[in-house]
Amino acid sequence: MKVYDVVPGLEFDAERDLAQSPAWFLDATHSVPPWTPMFGWFWINFCRHGMQYGAEKLSLPTVHGWDWRFMNGGGYLTLLLVKSEEEKQRREVEFRKAILPLIQDYDGIWNGFVKEILGRYENLKTLDLDSASNIELLDNFEGTINTCRRMWEIHMYMMYGTYTAYILFENMCRELAGIDDTSPVFHRIVSGFDNKVFQVDRRLWEFSKIASDQGLASVFLENQELDIRGKLEESEKGRNFLKDFSEFLNEDGWRMQRMSEMNLPTWVEDPTPPLSMVKQFILKGGSFDLDNERNKRILEREDAEKQILSKIPSEQRAWLEPLMRLAQKSGIFSEEHDHYLDLYTHAMMRRSALGIGRRFAKSGTIDNHEDIFFLIPDEVRRAGLNPGSFDLRYIVDRRKSDWMEWQKTPNPPAILAEGFDLDQAMGILVKSNDPIALKVVVGSMPQVRPELKADLYGTCGSPGVAEGTARVIVTEDELHLIKEGDILVAVSTSPSWTPVFSMIKGVVVDRGASLSHAAIVGREYGIPVVMNVFEGTAKIRSGQRIRVDANLGAVYILDK
Amino acid sequence: MAKKWIYWFDEIDSDFNELVGKKCANLGEMTKLGMRVPPGFAISVDGYERFMEDSGAGEEVQRYFHDNRHEINRVGKQVEASREIRRIIESKNLPQEMAQELRQSYASLCDQVGLHDLPVAVRSSGSVSMPGQMETYLNVRGKNEVERKVTQVWGSAFTTRAIAFRLEKSMDIAKTPIGVAVLKMINAKCAGVVLTVLPTTGDMTKVVVEGNWGLGESVVSGEITPDQFIVDKTCGECEATISSKTKMVCYGPVGTRVAEIPHDLRCASCLNPDELAEIVRIAKDVEAHFNLPQDMEWVIDQDLPFPENIYWVQARPAKFTKKKQDESQYLADLMSQIFRM
Repeated sequence: MKVYDVVPGLEFDAERDLAQSPAWFLDATHSVPPWTPMFGWFWINFCRHGMQYGAEKLSLPTVHGWDWRFMNGGGYLTLLLVKSEEEKQRREVEFRKAILPLIQDYDGIWNGFVKEILGRYENLKTLDLDSASNIELLDNFEGTINTCRRMWEIHMYMMYGTYTAYILFENMCRELAGIDDTSPVFHRIVSGFDNKVFQVDRRLWEFSKIASDQGLASVFLENQELDIRGKLEESEKGRNFLKDFSEFLNEDGWRMQRMSEMNLPTWVEDPTPPLSMVKQFILKGGSFDLDNERNKRILEREDAEKQILSKIPSEQRAWLEPLMRLAQKSGIFSEEHDHYLDLYTHAMMRRSALGIGRRFAKSGTIDNHEDIFFLIPDEVRRAGLNPGSFDLRYIVDRRKSDWMEWQKTPNPPAILAEGFDLDQAMGILVKSNDPIALKVVVGSMPQVRPELKADLYGTCGSPGVAEGTARVIVTEDELHLIKEGDILVAVSTSPSWTPVFSMIKGVVVDRGASLSHAAIVGREYGIPVVMNVFEGTAKIRSGQRIRVDANLGAVYILDK
Repeated sequence: MAKKWIYWFDEIDSDFNELVGKKCANLGEMTKLGMRVPPGFAISVDGYERFMEDSGAGEEVQRYFHDNRHEINRVGKQVEASREIRRIIESKNLPQEMAQELRQSYASLCDQVGLHDLPVAVRSSGSVSMPGQMETYLNVRGKNEVERKVTQVWGSAFTTRAIAFRLEKSMDIAKTPIGVAVLKMINAKCAGVVLTVLPTTGDMTKVVVEGNWGLGESVVSGEITPDQFIVDKTCGECEATISSKTKMVCYGPVGTRVAEIPHDLRCASCLNPDELAEIVRIAKDVEAHFNLPQDMEWVIDQDLPFPENIYWVQARPAKFTKKKQDESQYLADLMSQIFRM
């Protein structure tokens, strides 16, 4: 029945959609485990819009962006390729003009967007949801929808532009200096930069110092993570600490525990995750790791920059150097955009939706305020102004039982037309030259080198060699299992995983490319990262000793 | 009927670049935009080619280059070639029919302005930009003189610099299509340039006007320190630097000459506030029309009342902080190529 469609117009329809494109890929990074219906509605509609907006705004010669479908809580995507040669050429001419502003004033443009989007958030936050009228409440929700839409426009315009520069720099390093993006020299050039995510981590470290200075360390160390807040409330010093901490959260804590979902509390609602990070820092003691690491990285970077520039004929340096600066921004953007864009917008979506959820629950429209995540915006609008006149529980019930079903059976990683295999599908992605496909989704294929006798072969995300205990982590809620000196093994990582990088010795991820989260953060912390091993989480078990040699792209399981 | 080779400025625009050269096409484009340009006409490359063919000059030039093809890369030979070819071209008279048409056009220009033997400028107008490589003759009077200067402009396509330039760019050395602009000389009180961007910094919030007494050549050539006015595009705030100007360019009996500026004018501003404001206003309009910073040349006619006294002789995209622009464009080109792999 139509009324149960989660994303009307964009539900996966095997017959029609496979005729449009023979290969649809599951976005495993963002839609495993399966999304709640409301979150899926936001993501499918607007991430899709943003990708096409970015591709059109920049007139990318070969792609119109990506198309998305929703199926059982999973997001499936496929490329929209530019078909005719003539159109490619026309778009290329436009591209050369469209990319210029980003080349000439990258920082100005990015900072302008950050200002714009932060302004929108401030605006949304001014409404006191519980005393607002129904009209104001619905208006706030509509504003959130528009903010999400705008967020994805900025997101994808910047991402396409930034990664295009990065790819060119990679190519130029290979052509002019014989250095490719799996080389340690290359990684040194693109690391050693501060960004907002690291700044937040640094603040958490500062709070660990404050806690120790105030004699509160024992409250952190002697209590379970969940109890820390309550125990702090019991003393004057603890209450003062929490006051400062919530001020910090109000500024930087508008982020989700799971990056791409809205049914878990934000840090502002539940400070347990950041407080447990403070605890980790107290446990470790000493200075903020990243500061020391960063200073080392900066020196190494400057050295690597000189090394590469010296290999370039002087007349080429005039443009290679600005290109290098531009490529270096890719890492900063990759991390920072999660903070300012995805995480913050999702926190705003949750805030606004819960405001309506509470109103609906009070009127009996739904049973529980969190049931709002099982409605989609059209249904919210249906009851928005007169919640008491509508009973939407039948929709919630059915969607909720569907959603619980989705959790039981994993979505297939790709849906392919008959006679079409995964290799062919990957081939299309690579040939598209889509910067996001190349740098985030596919990456380069690992080279299997039998002479190394490794158990897994991958590519270098961050150079180095390490040996330690493997810790296989599937979802964010298992992150606390990681112990100092472990080697993290995961499908992929996201910004909410960043703090554990200060504890681990190395990373192995099934999927990823040089601009994936694990690579960028691994480089900043100076730990080896091997990516695109495909079967890491399947072949490695927690507790096994493993050795990773990122320079060679090899992983060895030492006690089989 | 033979091919049309003379065009009035209001018959052409920037689509005629190839046919009449950039200078003429630009004058046409400005006419189309409603800007006041000196009345005049354009001679297309067809005129040049017809002259070369009908007068026999073309054949002689081809023969000369063929005979000297082994030596032409030597600078000394290029100097000699230039002298020889210009001699060949300038020695030829305009074929009768062409001469008649040119005289007719000049006569109707004189009628239009209402002056007998109207002084005109005869300027080269190449379709490829070759700055300073071709000649311009100012203050040309009478039909015979106009005829002679037109053939001299054609000959100037073969200056040593132009020959070297063509060799360097691997352009066909004997074929060098060139247009000519014939336009009324303005009896200039003062003249100069206006840029809608500060060329040194790329600051697009300002307009800079530079001017001197007399003809614009003194300002364009950069030989004197002109008056300078930097005007803010939004608030109109003006920062004026009035220089002590000692020399200016004005008409001589033939061509132009450098003259002393009378003492009482040396430290006076060459533009009054109304004229300055009008120049800035038009420059901003033109910039908005092309959506690109402009580099324009203006002349104030001393015989006409304000604002009819403001004439425009050039409008082109401004070059500013050129290096940065070029590198960015180069990077953009390289980036576009990664989609071709």
